[in-house]
Amino acid sequence: MVHLITGGAGCGKSEYAEQQILSLGEDRNRIYIATMIPGGDPENLERIRRHRERRSSMGFQTIECPKDLGQVELPENSAVLLEDIPNLLANALFMPNGSGIHAGSMILSGFRRLVSEARDVIAVTDDVFCDGCEYQDSTKLYMQLLGLISQDIVCEADHVTEVVYGIPVVLK
Amino acid sequence: MKMVTGGAFEGKTSYAMRVFGLRDADIVDGSSCSRYDLFHTKAVKHAEQLVKRCLREGDDVLELADQLIRLNPGIIVIVNEIGCGVIPVDPADRNYRELTGRFCTKLASYADEVHRVTYGQGIVIKKAEGE
Repeated sequence: MVHLITGGAGCGKSEYAEQQILSLGEDRNRIYIATMIPGGDPENLERIRRHRERRSSMGFQTIECPKDLGQVELPENSAVLLEDIPNLLANALFMPNGSGIHAGSMILSGFRRLVSEARDVIAVTDDVFCDGCEYQDSTKLYMQLLGLISQDIVCEADHVTEVVYGIPVVLK
Repeated sequence: MKMVTGGAFEGKTSYAMRVFGLRDADIVDGSSCSRYDLFHTKAVKHAEQLVKRCLREGDDVLELADQLIRLNPGIIVIVNEIGCGVIPVDPADRNYRELTGRFCTKLASYADEVHRVTYGQGIVIKKAEGE
């Protein structure tokens, strides 16, 4: 089962995604794929701390994967929570020794491999498209790639949900 | 409590006036109203500005959400959905966006109705059972 979860900032996407994994039952290996590279940024560290604290009682095994999903080794019978695709893309596109222009196709092929090996994949993404601002070219490329990746994942997903201030709105 | 959300300039306030039978005098503006007004009004618009003012004055945003639930539980909250878009470069903008999300998530979990308005057209995304 593939479920894509989207929504704005601070709207409870992570909490909703975690609940979806828990609702799949006890028999799966719960895997959390963490994509954030904290560096020394206190804001990132605080976000990571908050998420870790919430997940601590949920029985997740955490796999750090900042760039290439193709490298991830999963146990049998996994329910994967991938958080999140915009981060993965930003890392792959902008970090030194990332994959640059090939970031989009790399993420999609990594995602497909994940789907073929896991029993369930719940992926979190962001709605970054609705502010109507004009951005510089590198940001535009980022938005374009994220849009294309998201469209492909939506085609393959069994469920797509937008979380609006904690309320799930079914899109597919 | 009822909430009406959606993007800027989508017609949220006139939608709320139509659906809930509000007059202009029933609605205060979050960018200028006093706390007293907020806790006694039928409706508030630009509730995201309440969050901005809280941050400017160093007040606790989630505490304000709790107070609103406690002191004006029947209020109609009209609020811009501001969390979508590219993550802002300025940390203060990021914080404002994130906290507006959490402020509204808290209110929405208490509200018995949440409407989302696009171009004046509303969709009820939450309605408590038994209503």
